Amino acid sequence: MFDDVSDIIIQIRNLSKIYGDGVEIKALDAIDLDIKRGEFIAIVGPSGSGKSTLLHQIGILDTPTSGTILLKGIDITKMSDKQRSKMRNEELGFIFQYHHLLPDFNALENVMMPLLIKGTKRSKAKKMAFELLKEVGLEDRINHRTHQLSGGQNQRVAIARALVNKPSIVIGDEPTGNLDTKKSDSIYELLRRLNKEYNQTFILVTHDERMAAKTDRIIRIVDGKIAEDSKNRKDF
Amino acid sequence: MYELFIAVRHLTSRRRQTIFSVLAVGLAVMMLMWSQAMMVGFTDEMYSKTVDSTMPHVTVEPQEDEDYIHLYRNLIRNINEIDGVVSISPILTGTATFEYKGKNKNVVMQGIRVEDHDSVMYINDNIIDGNFRDLEISPNSVVVGDALAEKLDVEIGDTIDASFPEANPTNLKVVGIYDSRTPMDETLAFTSLSTVQDFLGVSDVVTTILVRGDDRERAQAISGKIDALGYPASSWKETNPEIIQTLKMESTSNTITLGLIIIIASFGIVSTLFMVVMEKTKEIGMLMAMGVSRRSILIIFVMESGILGLLGALIGVMLGAMFAIYMGSYNYGFEVMAGISTIPFVVRIQDAVIIVLFTFLLNLIAGIYPASRASKLKPVEAIGRD
Repeated sequence: MFDDVSDIIIQIRNLSKIYGDGVEIKALDAIDLDIKRGEFIAIVGPSGSGKSTLLHQIGILDTPTSGTILLKGIDITKMSDKQRSKMRNEELGFIFQYHHLLPDFNALENVMMPLLIKGTKRSKAKKMAFELLKEVGLEDRINHRTHQLSGGQNQRVAIARALVNKPSIVIGDEPTGNLDTKKSDSIYELLRRLNKEYNQTFILVTHDERMAAKTDRIIRIVDGKIAEDSKNRKDF
Repeated sequence: MYELFIAVRHLTSRRRQTIFSVLAVGLAVMMLMWSQAMMVGFTDEMYSKTVDSTMPHVTVEPQEDEDYIHLYRNLIRNINEIDGVVSISPILTGTATFEYKGKNKNVVMQGIRVEDHDSVMYINDNIIDGNFRDLEISPNSVVVGDALAEKLDVEIGDTIDASFPEANPTNLKVVGIYDSRTPMDETLAFTSLSTVQDFLGVSDVVTTILVRGDDRERAQAISGKIDALGYPASSWKETNPEIIQTLKMESTSNTITLGLIIIIASFGIVSTLFMVVMEKTKEIGMLMAMGVSRRSILIIFVMESGILGLLGALIGVMLGAMFAIYMGSYNYGFEVMAGISTIPFVVRIQDAVIIVLFTFLLNLIAGIYPASRASKLKPVEAIGRD
């Protein structure tokens, strides 16, 4: 039923998330899912289907009601806050629809931040952040703050920030949802190139079927369940 | 220490809020520092006008069931050996009725050794007419207070009749008039020790020994050592507890009032921090997504509160000290207490350090609540909150 265990980076079993304040809402309903290292995945589905909830569970931003998530073989549902923070810092990169850059810091400092949190020396962090900003084409914008950058540029900074710690998994919640088609394509190309270069796993939640069609695998969520998992799109 | 980096950047980015928060604390601290300098000056002045000039540091009494200290010369020798003792004055006190040209008044007559007594009580500084030293030279002479001189209508050179039941009447020539600006000017007269001994018809004895130490704060220790010699001794703190009480009361009410002002200013910081936490909810969520632990979020916001408090405290202490030094002293224009009308400002480093530490700690504590609110945010909710 499942793939070769050695390649699997994320293993989800019987994962449920129930929101309840009087009326219970089952956002995720007994999900089983394996994700391999280096996969470029799109999670699609109608609004409120549970795709973002699944992403937040994988990103250790939320806790499930039941079930397990093994990330590199470690059950993240049983971790302490300190361990979860460390895992988020070292193994995960986040890209959101709105860049969520820190407005009090410039582009370079925003990208340096995950490294500083990890404990990397400032000079080394600066160098690494600059290299990555160069890679996303923003080497001449390093001292700009978010309000001085365009939407696309901010999203590139956010991508550089998500990748700077060389995480095994990059998760994106509508990473191009706020951009026009041209910028959206450019961001997709960038993510794809980085995915190939560093063999990182990309999991993107998107409404954009056109973009989803370009990924290796589409997971369609409907009513908190996996309705479709087209694994072989890579062959197309 | 990325927490400090983030905290400092938060503060420098919202400059106006930071400046107002620092100013609020700074003004409160400035008032506390200024007022503390005044309080220290008042305390010093109070001590200098009372303990240091009009009262002995230690008073030694006769042993239980005795009216006199008989072997006082031996005792003086022993007291002299106590560390910190500077001067000693044996005195014999008796009551007498002074009469001059039909006017009379009951007075306390103190027989003293002029030089010894002056080194303990600095009477010579208060002499306004005649010569205190003449007591030693002229037999049967007396120094009276200006109020007593006025009552009896005597001047230098006049001779007073001194008498009392069971005492040997005598004539005393006025050789000096003093003005201590206290009620004793009307009731206390000084004469030589031998004169009072003759007047009372007693041998070479005294009723009290007064001691001055090199530091008023050592009085307690000195009196303890004299006690150990077998003679009951009391320090000025025991004989004049009202001085300590008055100063303590003044100082406590002063500190409470100004401490409350600082607490109010710190509340200002708490409310500012709450606003910041609300404003930065998404950023806090994003920081958590990047791997910042709840503990570090707490540290960031407590640091912000602490930095605001520290800056406010440093600025306030400097301004308060500068203001106090610039003013030098404050003249009330009337006598506030114990002959004090001008209060000098005394700026002490230890006060500045204590005020800065107190304000800093207070702000650290005040910052904990908003900071813990920030640290308890759930990352997914914080990021998603609009």
